[in-house]
Amino acid sequence: MAATSKSEAMSGLKLISPTAIYVILLLAVPLATVILYSVLTGGRGTISLPFTFENYAQLLEKPVYGYIMLKSLLIALVVTFITIVLAYPVAYFVSFHVRPERKSLWLFLITIPFWTSYIIRVSLWFVILGYGGVVDSALASIGLEPLNIASYSILSIIIVLAHAYAPFAVLPIFVSLEKVDRSLLEAGQDLGESRWATFTRVTLPLTMPGVIASVLIVFIPTVGDYVTPKLVADGKEPMIANFIETQLLKLNNYAQGSAFAVTSMVMVAVVCLIFILLNRRFIGGQK
Amino acid sequence: MTFSDDRPTMIEFKDVHKYYGDYHALRGINGTIKAGEFFSLLGPSGCGKTTLLRTIAGFEGISSGVIMIDGKDMVSVPANSRPTNMVFQSYAIFPHMTVEENVGFGLRKDPRSKDEKAKAVDEALQMVGLKGFGKRAAHALSGGQRQRVALARGLILKPKVLLLDEPLSALDKKMREHNRRPATKKVANFIGTMNFVPATILSEDGDKVEVEAKGLGRVMLDIAQAPEKAGEEPVVGLRPETLTLLYDDQKASERETDGVIDEVIYFGDMTYYDVYLGGTDVEVRLSMRNVPGRPVLDVGTKVRVAWSPSALVLFR
Repeated sequence: MAATSKSEAMSGLKLISPTAIYVILLLAVPLATVILYSVLTGGRGTISLPFTFENYAQLLEKPVYGYIMLKSLLIALVVTFITIVLAYPVAYFVSFHVRPERKSLWLFLITIPFWTSYIIRVSLWFVILGYGGVVDSALASIGLEPLNIASYSILSIIIVLAHAYAPFAVLPIFVSLEKVDRSLLEAGQDLGESRWATFTRVTLPLTMPGVIASVLIVFIPTVGDYVTPKLVADGKEPMIANFIETQLLKLNNYAQGSAFAVTSMVMVAVVCLIFILLNRRFIGGQK
Repeated sequence: MTFSDDRPTMIEFKDVHKYYGDYHALRGINGTIKAGEFFSLLGPSGCGKTTLLRTIAGFEGISSGVIMIDGKDMVSVPANSRPTNMVFQSYAIFPHMTVEENVGFGLRKDPRSKDEKAKAVDEALQMVGLKGFGKRAAHALSGGQRQRVALARGLILKPKVLLLDEPLSALDKKMREHNRRPATKKVANFIGTMNFVPATILSEDGDKVEVEAKGLGRVMLDIAQAPEKAGEEPVVGLRPETLTLLYDDQKASERETDGVIDEVIYFGDMTYYDVYLGGTDVEVRLSMRNVPGRPVLDVGTKVRVAWSPSALVLFR
């Protein structure tokens, strides 16, 4: 008995070992290194003992660190909000108003933006938002001053990120909408509620697991987005990832950069946990 | 309709047609249902029972014709404004709500105070035998309990019309047989193969009815076995599975009658026999499970049939 369970455990280990080795070497080891670096004494291009919390203390002392952290979180929250608000109606339309045999075609169409490189899509936003771009030309044709939206760095970052992540948000919401028993919506109306009230009282609560999944899928990568601020705002409005890059690669300050990385990881984890706890009545417990 | 009293008309169908594309689902429905009437739609699956219910509730429009509820044409009245409530075949219990939130769902716009509404919910739950279940999560209920929640949820709004889609599907088999004693020969015939034996009512005394059933003899029936008069020729109904052939020296536990086998239908695990009862031309069908050591009998074999008076139903 003990022998069989032991051999079962062995074969289980064998099965997961490729993934486990991959995860350990490429995720756990670098993560441990970053955490270790963050409590070592750093200098220009050097890292050495003794252990110290000086790197973390620096984060508290200099307001620029807190500002960048807060700015990144706010940008990510706004992007997440916009993305969900845009993605929900799309998912709703495909789930409720598209004929069943056409649904896969629609989902396929939603993924079309991914056929083009993200870098190219970001560059194309300049054509739309930049000085003399599509938006400004349209405004000029009706006699309005050009806006040159691209010069507002944070606004541009939000627009570009929201566009980039919308398709990711559609899919989890779509899946949760597909699972809603349509007779529940009829029951809501049968009991005297309007379509809108039925939506807010039945459909939306039942699809919250999908919304929560979408929020996490969008929020976590946008907080740490590197490419968009770099390209769209030309580095004028650095977010967390850009700042870490500056610390690690430009200033060669591994200890400070690592402390910043660990802190931002903790912040994101805390925000996600708070969000999940606030919505825990929607998660699980349903058949 | 056999209802001839002067109760007001609640639902009226005038030449109702419903097409799904080329499919003609409702083909000229006409008729009236009176207030207080208990009206059942019977028919094989796919015949349009649910479609008709859904047109009354307002979930489906009709292609032509008129549906009136309480004297009002329902054509432009949406489902949420109709004086109807439906108990869905799937019950459509809101899975993210507790039992009492489900039952009180339709009370949001009710002008009563919160306490009064809570009291109404409690009363509705008590009525369906779910007192004390209010705080339970809806998904933790059994099928039958869900159905009762759905019923309470509709009844609390005091609808003029309560629609029940396949209301007996949740009851377990035993309960169903208890509740589903057919009331007329027509219904009995619909529900399934049933034997009908011509009968004469000899006397009716309080809760006892004595009948003379052709081929079976005199039987004393309980009044519960004799549903209300429907103006039919009196017959006694017996289901094939309540009849048993007696082999060799087996004895009937209650009554037995001689017979002659007229037809044998072999079905693998079952054999159906058509048997002439007691030298008469009354033929009944009965089913016997095929077990080792029990031969399948031939046509013309004289047999003894065991039956129980409590399994009889008198239609009259």
